[in-house]
Amino acid sequence: MNTPTLFIPDQIDLAILNALQNDLPLVTRPWNVIADRLGITETEILCRMKMLEGAGIIRGISPVLESRHLGLHAATLVAFHVPEVRIDEIALVISSYPEVSHNFLRDHYYSLWFTIAARDEEGVQRVLDEILQRTGIPATDALDLPTVKKIKIDVRFSFVPAQFMEITNGPD
Amino acid sequence: MDQTDVHLLMELERGLLFVPAPFEELGKKLDLTGDEVIERIRHLKETGIIRKFRARIDQRKIGITANALVAWKQTGNCNDDIGKLLALYPFVTHCYKRRPIPGRWEYTHYTVHHGYDRNQVLEEISKVAEQIKTQDYLVLFSTREFKRVPNVRIGENGGGS
Repeated sequence: MNTPTLFIPDQIDLAILNALQNDLPLVTRPWNVIADRLGITETEILCRMKMLEGAGIIRGISPVLESRHLGLHAATLVAFHVPEVRIDEIALVISSYPEVSHNFLRDHYYSLWFTIAARDEEGVQRVLDEILQRTGIPATDALDLPTVKKIKIDVRFSFVPAQFMEITNGPD
Repeated sequence: MDQTDVHLLMELERGLLFVPAPFEELGKKLDLTGDEVIERIRHLKETGIIRKFRARIDQRKIGITANALVAWKQTGNCNDDIGKLLALYPFVTHCYKRRPIPGRWEYTHYTVHHGYDRNQVLEEISKVAEQIKTQDYLVLFSTREFKRVPNVRIGENGGGS
């Protein structure tokens, strides 16, 4: 296995990461506009972006799509109580479904937490039933928590150099 | 949305290239000019298909390794929707209302929190709890990530892994 090279972003890198989480300017040369705001050149921002991508920090710059407009009208969060020895095997089955976008192990009696999205509630149920059947997890060891309302989705990280780290105090 | 838009979204999902004129570069694959690409993206935003255009970042690689899902119960008699309150916090990246399971799992609202370490996240969460006046919540820290791809995608993994 490769040992990952440790890449430590400097202040400018962090400022770039913060800026790239805002909505991208829809202009011919978007990177140049962002570079201007940060007081660096287009060449520098592109060079740094490539390094950040190479280090696996930037996964890509792409649009966030709205589920309802693309035919996904139902979603749920499912939690399984899984015996420790079966975690890897069961997680693999769950992750193999394209309808599953997130699958995390969490510190709780219900240890595997994953999401299912599909065209409608029946579609979600069909995937969940199949996973239950394939893994042999009894329904009593599963929590099915359908989405009633998406109140907020705004994945954004505020990157600050370690020495300036502080905890934000409540809503703006 | 026409066929060209679908192709455009599939290309965009792979990520914009880090070249001076990325829209123009992408347009070459679809036989469109850079301006036509931009015009189509603008239209997809207006119609709500594209919510936002931004960098996807692996926050763990930069030290933000703590991730907590917090399950909240609506308590008290007041009709204040705690969802609205929870969503106001800038550090809450996700806030969902979910159907509870009466008698088994009474939590109704879920938020996601990220931080440099668990203490930072816990401190943040306890402040929120204090401000929205509830002590009925459960913090679920993640210990392993088996899958994380965009939840809405055109291609197989939506440019994710």
